[in-house]
Amino acid sequence: MTIQSKAAPVRFDGVSKVFGKDVRAVDNIDLHVDAGKLVTLLGPSGCGKTTTLRMIAGLEMATSGKILIGDRDVTKLPATDRDVSMVFQSYALFPHMTVLENVMYGLTFSGFAKPEARSRALAGLDLVGLKGFDSRLPSELSGGQQQRVAVARALVLEPQVLLFDEPLSNLDAKLRRQVREDIRAIQKDLGLTVVYVTHDQEEALAVSDEIVVMRNAAIAQMGTPRQLYDAPNDRFVADFIGEANLLPCEILSVDGDMAIIEIEGYRHTLPSRGLPTGPATIAVRPSRLVIDSGDGVPATVAKATYVGVRMEYTLTGKFGQVFAVHDNVDTPLEPGTEVRMGFAAKGPVLLPE
Amino acid sequence: MKKFTTTALGTAIALAVSVSAAQADKLTLYCSAQEEWCQLMARGFEDATGIDVDMTRKSSGETFAQIRAEASNPKGDVWWGGTGDPHLQAAEEGLTMEYVSPMRDQLHDWAISQAESAGNRTIGIYSGALGYGYNTDLLAANNLPEPACWKDLLKPDYKGHVQMANPNSSGTAYTTLASMVQIFGEDEGFEYMKGLHANINQYTKSGSAPIKAAGRGESTIGIVFMHDAVAQAVAGFPIKVVAPCEGTGYEIGSMSIIDGARNEEEAKKFYDWALSAEAQNLALKVNAFQVPSNKGAQTSESAPDMSTIKLINYDFKKYGSSDERKRLLQKWDEDVSTLPQ
Amino acid sequence: MRVSTTDKTSHPVLIFWILAGWVGYCLLPWYMVEDGLWSFEWLFDGYPFDEDYAPAAFLIGQGEKIWLSPLLIPLALPLLVLGRVKSDPVYSRILILSGTLGFGWLIAQGFSIGIRGFNYDWLGSLFGDIRLRQFGMGYGAMICATAFLFLLTQGIAARGAINGDVFVVSAIGGVITIVTAFVFFPIAKMLFAAFVTEDGAYSISVFFAKFFDDRLWGLGCLWGARCGAAWNSLFLAIMVGFITTALGLAFALVVTRSGFRYKRALRALTVLPIITPPFVIGLALILLFGLSGTVTQFVAELFDLTPTRWLYGMPGVLIAQTLAFTPIAFLVLIGVVEGVSPSMEEAAQTLRANRWQTFKTVSLPLMRPGLANAFLLGFIESMADFGNPLVLGGNFDVLSTEIFFAIVGAQYDQGRAAVLAIVLLFFTLSAFYAQRMWLGKKSYTTVTGKGDSGVHPLMPKGLAIPVMVVALGWALFTAAVYAMIIYGSVVELWGVNNSLTFKHYVTAFSVRFEEEGIRWTGAAWDSFWTTITIAAIAAPLTAAVGLVTAYLLTRQSFAGKNAFEFGTMLSFAIPGTVIGVSYILAFNVPPIEITGTGVILVISFIFRNMPVGVRAGIASMSQLDRSLDESSLTLGANSWQTFRRVILPLLRPAILAALVYSFVRAMTAISAVIFLVSAKYDMATSYIIGRVENNDYGLAIAYSTTLIFVMLAVVGAMQLIVGRTQIGRRMSQSRTNV
Repeated sequence: MTIQSKAAPVRFDGVSKVFGKDVRAVDNIDLHVDAGKLVTLLGPSGCGKTTTLRMIAGLEMATSGKILIGDRDVTKLPATDRDVSMVFQSYALFPHMTVLENVMYGLTFSGFAKPEARSRALAGLDLVGLKGFDSRLPSELSGGQQQRVAVARALVLEPQVLLFDEPLSNLDAKLRRQVREDIRAIQKDLGLTVVYVTHDQEEALAVSDEIVVMRNAAIAQMGTPRQLYDAPNDRFVADFIGEANLLPCEILSVDGDMAIIEIEGYRHTLPSRGLPTGPATIAVRPSRLVIDSGDGVPATVAKATYVGVRMEYTLTGKFGQVFAVHDNVDTPLEPGTEVRMGFAAKGPVLLPE
Repeated sequence: MKKFTTTALGTAIALAVSVSAAQADKLTLYCSAQEEWCQLMARGFEDATGIDVDMTRKSSGETFAQIRAEASNPKGDVWWGGTGDPHLQAAEEGLTMEYVSPMRDQLHDWAISQAESAGNRTIGIYSGALGYGYNTDLLAANNLPEPACWKDLLKPDYKGHVQMANPNSSGTAYTTLASMVQIFGEDEGFEYMKGLHANINQYTKSGSAPIKAAGRGESTIGIVFMHDAVAQAVAGFPIKVVAPCEGTGYEIGSMSIIDGARNEEEAKKFYDWALSAEAQNLALKVNAFQVPSNKGAQTSESAPDMSTIKLINYDFKKYGSSDERKRLLQKWDEDVSTLPQ
Repeated sequence: MRVSTTDKTSHPVLIFWILAGWVGYCLLPWYMVEDGLWSFEWLFDGYPFDEDYAPAAFLIGQGEKIWLSPLLIPLALPLLVLGRVKSDPVYSRILILSGTLGFGWLIAQGFSIGIRGFNYDWLGSLFGDIRLRQFGMGYGAMICATAFLFLLTQGIAARGAINGDVFVVSAIGGVITIVTAFVFFPIAKMLFAAFVTEDGAYSISVFFAKFFDDRLWGLGCLWGARCGAAWNSLFLAIMVGFITTALGLAFALVVTRSGFRYKRALRALTVLPIITPPFVIGLALILLFGLSGTVTQFVAELFDLTPTRWLYGMPGVLIAQTLAFTPIAFLVLIGVVEGVSPSMEEAAQTLRANRWQTFKTVSLPLMRPGLANAFLLGFIESMADFGNPLVLGGNFDVLSTEIFFAIVGAQYDQGRAAVLAIVLLFFTLSAFYAQRMWLGKKSYTTVTGKGDSGVHPLMPKGLAIPVMVVALGWALFTAAVYAMIIYGSVVELWGVNNSLTFKHYVTAFSVRFEEEGIRWTGAAWDSFWTTITIAAIAAPLTAAVGLVTAYLLTRQSFAGKNAFEFGTMLSFAIPGTVIGVSYILAFNVPPIEITGTGVILVISFIFRNMPVGVRAGIASMSQLDRSLDESSLTLGANSWQTFRRVILPLLRPAILAALVYSFVRAMTAISAVIFLVSAKYDMATSYIIGRVENNDYGLAIAYSTTLIFVMLAVVGAMQLIVGRTQIGRRMSQSRTNV
């Protein structure tokens, strides 16, 4: 008995969700999730990502727009009738049922005979590495194990779409990395369509085929992790994915798809991304700031922190304050040191002002 | 085990048979006398005729209210017991049925005349005279004189010692009010009630409550029907019964068949039976000391001897009518009950 | 692959209700069977042709009750949708049409044609004076009506209401219907009665004349005469509210913030009001403080005073109600006092407040909403109390007893009863409204679920001593009163013959063992078994209605939910006497004609106690993480399956508590019951009242004592069981909710 995949794509066409009279939780979004892909909904709390997920599940009904799973319009279908399962943040294991009963629960409503449901459930538990735990109660499992039961319970239904609502937030840091890798491995092995909600950008970067960054009930940017990290559309995305220093600059000239910018006399060449000359913003990751390269913007070391693998510096100057990291831990800079701050050749991105 | 099953089966069959046998003949009895008497009447009738009796005991006021509420869909068949006024009122409102029993010739005149005054919709089954009783222990403890007349109760000595029911909620108390009006005349009667009001410690809701309170020692004097006072004395409470010297009113405990009764035949059977001497003799078993309406029925030795009591010529027709009743009650409400005590 | 129910063409639930409709119409007796359906005598007694037992179909077949024939149309309509899919607009349209037509016609004919023909004159003039009449609806009509109702809700669900959830829509429809039928309809009927003149016409002036009656609003007590019942009730209720809150707070403080050793014994006090039959406390007070009471006599002899009847009236009722309702305030305030987060108090202490300052500036203000809540509860309970004023009222008239005597008194005045009931209802509803609207938003004692490891500080000394004295003094008094109850039950004839005897118990509960088995010869057995039976039938129904309502309120959102909630909780604020009066007025005539049956008792208990079930359900359901039912839904269970397999098992303790509570309340209820009992169905409490009326205190108290012990056993057994399950649940919960 193995778990099959019936992966199907998910489509949102102009979907909105309004709570009460005028609270717009999701505002007219279009979204396409390819079959067999893991897509993450990422954003700060209150951005509408969980509502979007719950609309896929059928736990919330769209106020307007259309939702398709596979080629079926499910906009008006309740959760019961959608071929979707979900792993909850709290796991939502039924405390009065054993692990096996929990995993079998959904199968019994899917028309499987008992022995069949049982063997499928056992296969599911096997898949998540919980063989032999079937007669325990959820309260007798550790957090990580409970999490896996929740995954198995959702998996065995072979849903068209599998949903995860911040599944790792209740685990400690070490376990998180382990579990997210497990989830990714299972998803890839089975070719599942997964929609995954998190507010942790590192988690999103690690597991996703594609990330949807949401802000204020709308989609801010959609793309592969690399695209979002390297080419954020705006200041919000740049700041939310990874950490970015946002500095005001002036585009002096544009030549083809390259531009020359200037900050306090320091010039740098980088892709123009279609921006015209004039004031703009440059986003620089902390690791892409080159400290004391000789050339650069004048700055002062305000704070220096040793964190083991690297040094973290806070630099101040006329531009304001930036955050930089440096691999040289052997000869750290003292606070108060005057430095020149330059940009690495690759990495900095131009954004509209 | 097997034996048990057979027995159980047998019982079940017996039950089913008895139920279906009783099914044909049954009677719903509204009873306004005291519980034991009601029970005894119901069971006695069952024994005598095999007709199943469903008995509800409620005070006459409550029963009257129920019959009135159920008028459009009567549930009860016979209403037995309770003071005559609500029976008369029910007769007046056409809630009860005309019936002339073949047992009539065995009855006292007062019972028959009452029936005639109500267009034969009700009949007397017993009678009792109004009076009062006092707790001898308390009277002595408070150094009070022994009262013998209605007027005695007006003495300031008795302030806070006299209890009577509220005429608005109790037939007994209304009878008291109507009696005073008939003994002293309307104006003086109300003056009497006003004087009495000053001495009253509580107007109870139920008619016999004052003497029960006196029995328990919660009050000294209770204005009630004498047979109620006698019952308390017989039950062991230190109660002495007084037949007031000015004369007194009386009630005729009555019985009526409810108009539109579902079991009319059985109701008539009960009616006839309840007028018989044997049925009326049952009263003695339960310390009901009223005077039975059947001439041949026995009276208790403890019962007040009606021949020694000065009875007034109580006008049941006038004082039982709704209009007169309402007028007197309203007058009492306005002139008497609002006075400070 | 999950098969969506939306595409299925044969819906078992739909088929069930269509069938039920036809069974109700063609097979079951349409009208009330006088001896009860369950005796099955009707089966052998002329069924199906006898007019009394015939199903509707046979009645029409014989040319009788032809106004029932239009029902065939809505019965037949749903057959058209068989084979259609749910999403087909015709499906929902037909079901809605059929349900509305059927249900509407049933109600219309039920109200139009009564036992004496047309109920409204204009109908008579319209159709001529045909000889029509019908009795109350029976099981056939009831099942038919239910079928129409649920066909309608299925139609509405198919249109997409509540995500097309049939179970939820049906549950909402069902609850609304029964609450309308058994709470709003009788109350409305009673309100109308307040406007009826003596000759049956309607008039506003009649209402005003009765409303502004001096007996209601008089202020005579200011100059020595008597005050109106409304003022008396109001004044009494305010006093009781204050005193019970103060005493309850004292108890709660002793239990949570003192070094007192026997806290558990104090906590046991909270059970008392639940298991005490009404007016027993009143009787015990009479035995202690009446004119011939033990204490009165003792004190009078000691100080050579003349004993007085001070107990009868306001003081007695006040003491009795305080005794009865202090434990309720205690119960409420324990939660409040414990709910004040210890870390707040600890924070105050670290901010250099001493104990007294901490108590005054932090603890007490945080308890304030809880105190107001306890006050309002005491207020409502006092307003609604019937038993104590009945026994101890003396000349002190209060609304609840006045209502009773307006109906049962010789002056029989339904209109006056209705007016009094309206005034009483106005008071209790205002308090209820204040409690919900004003306090609802103000609770500071939110349970966050996060462990609060702090410890409540002890009370400051200056407070602790008076609080201890008051609380323990009152506790001793309560104990004395209850001891008196037990003693009173074994005394031959109180005040006259104080020798000990078991004769009252023998009279009430003697049994005889004979060959055929046990014969229950005691006088009390009849009412005792009736009470147990009725309470046992009512309890599960109450719990079921309460929990379904709680589920709808906590787990579903739908238009008009606030009104729905208010409606279902409303009966909490309706005093029993009001319910009793309104039931008599509403259910004595067709279409629902159930006075004098056991059914009306069961129904009155369900709707009297439903708010308790709802509250218990809401409280425990809001502790269940919502994601549990959501995950069940995404796993393919529908809402009914979720309710049954996830929510119900997790709510077992709440269910048990609701069951026991409604059982016990049904055994001790008097105020509504006294209007509704009948010869066949006499309840323990009304039997006891009868004994009290008859001066038979010994038997009354013996019976009450027995009831107390029976209920104590029931409550104790429940606490044993619930105690265990709760521990199990908490353990598992704390882990899942990490």
